[in-house]
Amino acid sequence: MTLAVFLPFLLAALCAWLGPRLGRRTGYVAALAFVPALLLALPLAGMPGALPALEVTRWVPTLGLALAFRGDGFSLLFATLIGVIGALASLYSVAYLSPHERFGRFYAYLLLFGGSMLGLVLSDNLIALFGFWEMTSVTSFLLIGLWHTRSAARDGAVKAFLVSALGGLGLLAAVAMIGLAGGSTTLSGLDVEALRASPLFTPALLLTLLAAFTKSAQLPFHLWLPTAMEAPTPVSAFLHSATMVKAGVLLVAKFGLLFGTSPLWSGIIVPVGLATLVWGAWIALRQTDLKALLAYSTVSQLGLLMSLYGLADAEGRFAATAHLLNHAAFKAALFFVVGIIDHETGTRELPRLGGLRKALPVTFAVALLAALSMAGVPPLGGFISKELFYEAMLHQGPLFIGVAVAGSALTFAYSFRLLRVFWGPPRSPPGADPHEAPPGLTGPAALLALAALTFGVWPGGAEALTRTAQNALDFAAYPGHLSLWHGVTPALLATFVTWGLGAALIAQSARVSTLGRRLTPRLNANTVYYALTEGVNVLSSRLIARTQGLALPDQLRIMLGAAALIAGYGVWRSPQVFHAIGPLPLALLPIAALLVAGALGVLLARSRLTAVVAVGLTGFGSAAAFLGLRAPDLALTQLLVEAVTVILFLLVFRSLPRSRDLPRTRWRYGVDLLLAASAGVGATLLVLAGVRFLAPPISPYYLANSYELGGGRNVVNVLLVDFRGFDTLGEITVVGMVALAVLGLVRVGKKGRAPGEAGPAPAPSTPPGTTRPKEKEEA
Amino acid sequence: MTRERPTPAPAAPPARDRTPTPAPLSGDPILRTVSRAVFALVLLFALLLLWRGHNAPGGGFIAGLMTTCALILHRIAYGHSALRTDPARLVPWGLALSFVTGLVPYLLGRPYLKSDYGYLTTALTGEFEWATALLFDVGVYLVVVGGSLAIAYALIRVDPHERVEGDE
Repeated sequence: MTLAVFLPFLLAALCAWLGPRLGRRTGYVAALAFVPALLLALPLAGMPGALPALEVTRWVPTLGLALAFRGDGFSLLFATLIGVIGALASLYSVAYLSPHERFGRFYAYLLLFGGSMLGLVLSDNLIALFGFWEMTSVTSFLLIGLWHTRSAARDGAVKAFLVSALGGLGLLAAVAMIGLAGGSTTLSGLDVEALRASPLFTPALLLTLLAAFTKSAQLPFHLWLPTAMEAPTPVSAFLHSATMVKAGVLLVAKFGLLFGTSPLWSGIIVPVGLATLVWGAWIALRQTDLKALLAYSTVSQLGLLMSLYGLADAEGRFAATAHLLNHAAFKAALFFVVGIIDHETGTRELPRLGGLRKALPVTFAVALLAALSMAGVPPLGGFISKELFYEAMLHQGPLFIGVAVAGSALTFAYSFRLLRVFWGPPRSPPGADPHEAPPGLTGPAALLALAALTFGVWPGGAEALTRTAQNALDFAAYPGHLSLWHGVTPALLATFVTWGLGAALIAQSARVSTLGRRLTPRLNANTVYYALTEGVNVLSSRLIARTQGLALPDQLRIMLGAAALIAGYGVWRSPQVFHAIGPLPLALLPIAALLVAGALGVLLARSRLTAVVAVGLTGFGSAAAFLGLRAPDLALTQLLVEAVTVILFLLVFRSLPRSRDLPRTRWRYGVDLLLAASAGVGATLLVLAGVRFLAPPISPYYLANSYELGGGRNVVNVLLVDFRGFDTLGEITVVGMVALAVLGLVRVGKKGRAPGEAGPAPAPSTPPGTTRPKEKEEA
Repeated sequence: MTRERPTPAPAAPPARDRTPTPAPLSGDPILRTVSRAVFALVLLFALLLLWRGHNAPGGGFIAGLMTTCALILHRIAYGHSALRTDPARLVPWGLALSFVTGLVPYLLGRPYLKSDYGYLTTALTGEFEWATALLFDVGVYLVVVGGSLAIAYALIRVDPHERVEGDE
């Protein structure tokens, strides 16, 4: 399992390197990364000796941090699912992507994402789980924004990231609370009773829900998912069908075992899930872009899964797990189909497509199977899991089943709307000559469609798969079975009602769309999102205008004043840190005089150059002082820093206006005097406070051991590179970051391309009939 | 469209700018002549500092700053960089080197960043101490050189054009 999680990360680095060399064939390497994940299916199939129960790799043992991967049935099932879809998406993209794509980047991101997703699914340690969760957010941000030259892609990426990072923060808090209350950082080692009794239980529950809802695009956080389709289609298939968006569902499924006892849990999830089901399906029905239709359909289906897992009973979990498999199969297949249509005709707009049945027979067959499964038509997998869904909702009450039927009727209608591109007179954009896609494109889609069919015609197999999760999700006792025919049950009747309603919706599609237009609310999640981000922008620019617009002296006054206040408060609260001043070493007196002279020189300097030289005097004085205190390393560093600073100062001065004397009022003089005095006194106090050790000093340890343990006679250096090497690593990271930030600031407004974008720009590939996906109608 | 992809950015001119905006602070013949020798000396001394940092005053940080000084001198004297690449590129390499140096002992089951050292004796050099910490230090060196040099170069290249109130 550890291998399954880490191989994608390793191969991501390899792919980044191979990408520019191998081109599209990198995809084959990328597909290899998912092989260990696929092998996780072996223990599921009951192969003896292959069960990876728990693998622990220590990470930071002192903090209770370990990479613990636990292969229970559900995790393994999910991991296998990710492996299958990930490998298929990699292979599909080989044929799909344009030859000018940045393959290194694409496959590296794809694998990073796949790896973090596998880590998330298999992780038993809560903190590692959070880490992987955030990594999926970051990598999906990169994937969605892959074509970052397009503003819609940037917008979609930022939106997805903001929304899911919000949930990520919630999860961090929730994980901390669960860990505290449950007394363990591993999911399997939690003391469930203690957690339930803890006052942290309810906040943790709510925060977990926030995380799950944002990640799985539940109302009102669904806004990011449709814009996430700006990613290339193979990525969409991966993100939408198997993984990213199902992370929230996974969270609800796994944590449902902890929180499920609370009525709050089902009380929130089930209504939200059902509302998302209906709303997503309703919006999906109105889309004209095939990919947008599928995106909203994903929102809707996630609502279904959420509501089932949210029931937190055996029946719901059984049905949800079955539907999880079905959904992954048909949704990925449909995304692949849309990719093929896009690829062959050059458009995804529904009104511009028609009669593709003859030109694309294989694709048509795939689409038919997948869409019928989505619509819930026998004998396909989707039908069976929908029956289970109805069954579960029937037990909840009439209102629940009513909403479920409405949502499914809408699903039925949009599934057929999707299929409409294959009927009717052949209609395709001028210049496009649709013909069957190469097997590289149809193959993965066909495999998934066959899976959807198999789930239906051989329910025993599907049930065996679903049952592998029974121990992990605690539905082993549930007696239900997957089968096509249960007899005439209320669920079957509800299905007939659904079909009737769905057929009516199709027949009256013109009226439905008019109604849809009329019902479009002015205020929706997207407008709120834009208002919020706009508001933050305005607020920050106002704040900057108010504070940064000040003259430099004023800013200094504010900073010094604030520092003096804070430090003064500290001194007032704990005056005991100071101790009596001992005798001063006389040898340092000349150096002190030098320092004072430098400081006075700055004050009296009339030009910047003189001021810098005077500042340099204090710097060199400090260096001399360090030497006097027998710290040659520090002295050397101080000297060099001083030299570089002077150079940088001089470089900056070229572009500054001549120094001026601003007239100061008497009052200003007083304030400045006070500020300067308090800053001076404060700095002195700070130094004095540092002289007294509150604990026994640790330096003798380093002096005694630096040669023994670090092999160096220069204690300072050994300290830097060995004893406190991690600090140094952090510091150089900061240095690097600062350098990049300064570079960004200095280069702002300069023409030319960003560094690192070297290499010939790819030639545009704009065949006839190219359409640019327009801004979609937002819900 | 056959394949969705964004329209690429228009082809920009080649990246190497051997002679950027004629820097106002270069071209002095005396400076050039002197800097040729000084540059090499300072660089050598910087490398010496880096090398002996483990046992005597020195180390990656100091050596990096000193190298930066030498390179800035070169840049000011000749108007072009002595480095063949964008110095900002050194930063990730340095970080990666330091990180990986720490990772190796971790993967071997010892604490992260635990350094190791030992002695080699050859006929030519006599006893010679090696330490993995030196590799870590080289990482620090690269980051410091890359970071500070990138900032300095960027500032050198700034063309003062903005005029503010009070300027003549």
